[in-house]
Amino acid sequence: MNCESSRRLLPLYFDGELDPADSRAFEAHLDGCAACRQALAELEALRARLRDPAMRYAAPAALRGRLAAAMPAARPRARAWAALAASWLAAALLGAGAAGLWHDRQQGLRAQAGLTRDLFASHWRALAAASPVDVVSSDRHTVKPWFAGKVAESPPVRDFAAQGFPLAGGRIDYVGSARVPVLVYRHGGHLIDVFVLAAPPAGLPRQARMQGYGLRVLALDHAAAAVVSDMDEAELDRFARLLAQGGEPPPSR
Amino acid sequence: MDLAARRTLVGELAMRQLDAAYNLARWLLGNDADAGDAVHDAFVRALQSAHTYAGGNGKAWWLTIVRHCCFARLKEHGRGRRFVAIDQLAAELGEAAAQRVLPNTAADEPEQNAAAAQERARLHRQLRGLPEEYREVLVLREIEELSYREIAQMLSIPIGTVMSRLSRGREKLLQALGANGDRP
Ligand SMILES: [Zn+2]
Repeated sequence: MNCESSRRLLPLYFDGELDPADSRAFEAHLDGCAACRQALAELEALRARLRDPAMRYAAPAALRGRLAAAMPAARPRARAWAALAASWLAAALLGAGAAGLWHDRQQGLRAQAGLTRDLFASHWRALAAASPVDVVSSDRHTVKPWFAGKVAESPPVRDFAAQGFPLAGGRIDYVGSARVPVLVYRHGGHLIDVFVLAAPPAGLPRQARMQGYGLRVLALDHAAAAVVSDMDEAELDRFARLLAQGGEPPPSR
Repeated sequence: MDLAARRTLVGELAMRQLDAAYNLARWLLGNDADAGDAVHDAFVRALQSAHTYAGGNGKAWWLTIVRHCCFARLKEHGRGRRFVAIDQLAAELGEAAAQRVLPNTAADEPEQNAAAAQERARLHRQLRGLPEEYREVLVLREIEELSYREIAQMLSIPIGTVMSRLSRGREKLLQALGANGDRP
């Protein structure tokens, strides 16, 4: 095989589209040709870079949720989010233990009023998704602009890393049928969702607790925030106080 | 198999390959909103045409529908707003990575990754800047790992055309990256 015909086969060899006999002939040429080896190495380097996970866009959690809710139902379901959560659990391969836990949570949810229930459901949905955030950043100057254009008003974003609650990122989520910006913080192994609500919500208790998860509702600038996490009560209160006080000065606007 | 079972099968297939669908749509359409809408359209259409799914190679079948919905959307917009501003690039890369990395590892990304991130950003920009016909086959082959035959079927073009577009696309990328210097 000469170099010219070898170059023609090179991409096919590289893409695994050559039959075994041609592959062997190509490899025989490759052994004696530094130029072809170099060309092959270039293709390999390019592929390695293109296959970097950062080059592949993953479906946002909100889209996954919308489609899961539109999945053809194998059996009648009471609410769209239940269908959605159920299929997410299956998709997320959380196993039988988690499914049982979910069942318990569903029982608990029925006892709660609408909005409270939606907030807990949204938090659990995010936990069951591949990632609870759509934009990962500990930098509030990255997170705030990310929301621009996605929701009517970018929420105020503050970091409480110094107080032990670093910013992990943000996402847009559905609470009931409303699109709501969610700021996500971390505290040790706990994730904290802060739902930024446009108006102080009617019919939402100041606090609630369900299945080991807590809810705190507080005023936030001109809006309101609902905090959901599985932190213990004292930590949840501490975080809610920090959030209400604003911690460090807010970013200049 | 009855239609209900087939629809369930198709729905599950689409959910399993949702990242592939979104990735293709996002690279074809250039922004999150359109990509999300196109995938949603495709999902609805896939369920509607579940009776045409004969089993077998589901990923290519599903991505074919996604691709059609993307082009329908491009036509709708008169190809006017295909790409978002370059200054959103960093945020976009963050978004793409966000789905794969849990926040407690990503948030502590060390500074030494800055060079690698820059490198990724440049490749990202170059691929985005490629003409659609090259960008599309590169995404399908290199990122989604489809075979020549699958791509040919998806795009309704001969395998030879897949090969030539792929070669040309790779060449263009390598040239562009080389011309920008500091490629190892
Ligand atoms: Zn050679």
